[in-house]
Amino acid sequence: MQLNELLDTLPGYAKDLKLNLSNLLQQPELTKQQIWGTAVACAVAARNPHLVEAVAAEASNHVSPQIIEAAKGAAAIMGMNNIYYRFQHLTSNQKYATLPARLRMNIIRSHGVDQADFELWCVAVSAINACGTCVDSHEKVVREKGLSEDAILGSVRIAAVVHGLAAVLDGEPVLASEALPV
Amino acid sequence: MLGVGEKFPSYSVQATVSTDQKKAFKTITDMDYAGMWKVYFFWPKDFTFVCPTEIAAFGKMNRDFQDRDAQILGASTDSEFVHLAWRTHHEDLKNLPFPMLADVKRDLSEQLGILDHKEGVAQRATFIVDPDNVIRFAYVTDLSVGRNPQEVLRVLDALQTDELCPCNWQKGEATLVGA
Repeated sequence: MQLNELLDTLPGYAKDLKLNLSNLLQQPELTKQQIWGTAVACAVAARNPHLVEAVAAEASNHVSPQIIEAAKGAAAIMGMNNIYYRFQHLTSNQKYATLPARLRMNIIRSHGVDQADFELWCVAVSAINACGTCVDSHEKVVREKGLSEDAILGSVRIAAVVHGLAAVLDGEPVLASEALPV
Repeated sequence: MLGVGEKFPSYSVQATVSTDQKKAFKTITDMDYAGMWKVYFFWPKDFTFVCPTEIAAFGKMNRDFQDRDAQILGASTDSEFVHLAWRTHHEDLKNLPFPMLADVKRDLSEQLGILDHKEGVAQRATFIVDPDNVIRFAYVTDLSVGRNPQEVLRVLDALQTDELCPCNWQKGEATLVGA
């Protein structure tokens, strides 16, 4: 389904999310690559298949397949790193931080797109997956590469809204189904 | 023997790449497989006891190595015809998915420092070489002891696993300069 068609299926209570998304996808603070890469990576991280499909399809009208592929890569690798490094900041045992991770993550260098963009998508995904260490470290890298707090927040807003939409799209079909037992 | 950090030697040899008489031989040099990692493993002699098990074991794991952008290259000082006869003759080697280099002049083995001077053949040596042709792992066992391809894969994995995530960087350390 196309993204605007999917958004049209949203119930009335989710209107804020629908309007927020439409504004955020056109925000001037970010480039098209930053916007759509964030949207794709966050849709993957938020896990609703219909949203992933619709966002990726719409993204292909605005950015290259390489960007979409790299954004999916960011969601993939952060899906892993967000758990591993979240463990590290959750545990009170500091020793873990000194032990080698032994996890391949070559895509963080081999994605083939702008490094600042890739790191920005990582920040957004880390916000969804709730890894504090990842949010801090990738946010720092992104600012060192010249992006402003405004730009970063622009990306995090997309993450927030996409996540909210995924939750609605997960629950709504079940609620609407007449086969629900009483 | 050449070790870690040294450049893998230049070479040009004939190699046996299949049991099909028409397409069996190919010239292979150090410039082939550009951009890939290479896993060279040498054995002393074709048609002997320990070797086929190891070679077949590497063969079964070829896909794992290819997934890690690594090309396996077997080698001995036997000629390409001996390799062909051995592959044709031995059930486990018929469909070997990687080339067998024929270091007949013993030039490559000599440059690597793995030519056993008593026996005149290559020692049982394994080298992992990176895309810049630098040796990153060198392992050799005495003539009669086989080696463990799982271990070679483990090392390749470890060599390719860099902690590229800023989450690993301590306060005060220099930042990684992006590509």
